Amino acid sequence: MASETPGAGIGSDDPDTEQGPLGRWVDSAIKNPDRVYRAMFYVAMLFFLVTTLFPFYWLLVLALTPNNLIANMGLVPKGFNPEVFIAMFERVPFHLYMFNSFVLGITTTVLVLLIASLAGYVFGRLRFPGKGVLMLGILAISYFPPAAFLIPLFELFTGNTAISIGMVTISTPDLFNTPAPMVFPFSALFLPLSIFILTTFYGQIPDGLEDAARVEGTTRLGALFRVIVPLSAPGVATAGVLTFISVYNEFFFSFLMNNGEADSWAPIVAGILKYQGQFDTPYNLMAAASIVGVLPVAILVIIAQERIVSGLTAGALKE
Amino acid sequence: MATEQQSGETFSDTQRSGPYASAVNWMESLSETQFAYLLLTPALVLLGVIAVYPLVSTFSMSLFADRLTGTARLGEFVGLQNYVDLFTGARNYALPSQFLPTFTSEFPFVTNIYSSALAVTLIFTVFSVLFETLIGFGQALILDQDFRGRRWVRVAIIIPWAVPIVIQGMIWYLMFQPNIGFLVGTSENPALLNQLGLIGTTPLRNTADALFLIIVADVWKTSAFMALLILAGMQSIDRSLYDVAKVAGASRWQQFKLITFPLILPTVLVAMLFRTIDAMRVYGIIQTMAGCQTVPSLSCLVVTTFNTPLYGTSATVAFVTAGIIAVVVSVYIVNFASEGI
Repeated sequence: MASETPGAGIGSDDPDTEQGPLGRWVDSAIKNPDRVYRAMFYVAMLFFLVTTLFPFYWLLVLALTPNNLIANMGLVPKGFNPEVFIAMFERVPFHLYMFNSFVLGITTTVLVLLIASLAGYVFGRLRFPGKGVLMLGILAISYFPPAAFLIPLFELFTGNTAISIGMVTISTPDLFNTPAPMVFPFSALFLPLSIFILTTFYGQIPDGLEDAARVEGTTRLGALFRVIVPLSAPGVATAGVLTFISVYNEFFFSFLMNNGEADSWAPIVAGILKYQGQFDTPYNLMAAASIVGVLPVAILVIIAQERIVSGLTAGALKE
Repeated sequence: MATEQQSGETFSDTQRSGPYASAVNWMESLSETQFAYLLLTPALVLLGVIAVYPLVSTFSMSLFADRLTGTARLGEFVGLQNYVDLFTGARNYALPSQFLPTFTSEFPFVTNIYSSALAVTLIFTVFSVLFETLIGFGQALILDQDFRGRRWVRVAIIIPWAVPIVIQGMIWYLMFQPNIGFLVGTSENPALLNQLGLIGTTPLRNTADALFLIIVADVWKTSAFMALLILAGMQSIDRSLYDVAKVAGASRWQQFKLITFPLILPTVLVAMLFRTIDAMRVYGIIQTMAGCQTVPSLSCLVVTTFNTPLYGTSATVAFVTAGIIAVVVSVYIVNFASEGI
């Protein structure tokens, strides 16, 4: 890319010399620098497309090659073995892990949307003392690393935390290997982003609409759920999509808050890691499972890219 | 939790009788402040139980010794001894990887950088955030143009951001596992990257090589996030500024230097702050690509000591990690405040 500009200097030194096609191109490039920018633009775009998409192509190459042929692979599959997409489910019940991931993702999303709707309404539309401090506090909590929450949450959800109320001491129930030890940490982790997105959207609804509903006799919460939430549907969708993707992608609690078995609600994190066998390493199955695992979020990105883009930027640039 | 139940009732029921009516009437009679705090209750309870309580509890655990025998979670109260031991290196015997690097009197004054959790985390953070910013900037410049198929290019650039961490780790593990691809070979049969001298033939077992590859993997996944934030900043710039600049004869480079760059700098700094906080927590990609023994990050250290189980030590490292992140955040915020952004 950079060589075009110095090259241009040499080519234009002596206009009388016989010019090849390159020389002519260089000449016109100097007269019209926009073409150079255009060319640089396409080169850069191609570079970014190749670097972001090549890893997915590599998965496909490995998945389609029978495992015993995987060595010194080039850029094309050695063989064509689509049965791998059946074999991967036979070795590990990956569909169950994906089902668990969906359940965890949807439960968390519903919980987060409910709680964040109430909080977003408060922050976006009401005036009360302590508002700034509370918003800052919620923001600050989202900065802390999950590692700082790990031990107490693990103790809490495995039933090892005792709560004393007066004379009575009760142990927390053992919820390990249920969805709870994942759903609640996920919700707390991703709640702040949704609160900030919904605060922005709810705050933009004109007061007149809410007042009109109130005059009609709607309750305060009725006005929120019948007027403000429906009018902010894009914002709610944005927060929902981002929460679901975040839960589907989460690693820390997904990995540590279950025993890794499909019937203990372990999500795809455990499913993918289970392919690593004790006696063999089925690279083709690993690649196939990775492709299948990526599909749901890839489809979501294609369908909802506008929402994702606006949500990430609104949530992050809020302050 | 009670709030949600009431909200469900008012939502579905318009006739008002019995407990519904009294609940509704009670809620209507609240002042704005009372109503605000009532609606915030679920959020505050959730964050209180899942975030504030664990944070306080982690700090109080960090004041106790590790359990030596028996079934108790923790040993005796030792005050700040865990922190002292951690920073002086007296605790290193119990840790899978030391916390600080070893300091020496000769240049470059530190050794064992790659076995220090703090140094590894900082190296990862600085380089990944730096390259993500640069590449994200490039991607944002591309996406800022109008061209056919822009929507699809944007999808292609965003997709890595949406890839689950465990699959991201698997992808890069499969790419750099020796001898299966064209990138990494064996010592008898070196492949592309070995011949270039970039990495050895077992890169995922060598800390320096693995750290480099983990940074590459992270840049691949999260540059898109930077790109989207920077793009949002670029698109909020008033386009007429560029028209004025063109009339005044500014070149493209001058337009970039004098208009684009200063106007998006605040956005870039906010985006870098978010990425820095995130990068300091790195765990999943390490666990799936190379393992915590090879690349010890701070979160790795917390988890391994938690599993051992050395709860006192683990809580101390966890709280120090949170503290370091808090320092980074406040440095950024002080800078913002002083620049008046």
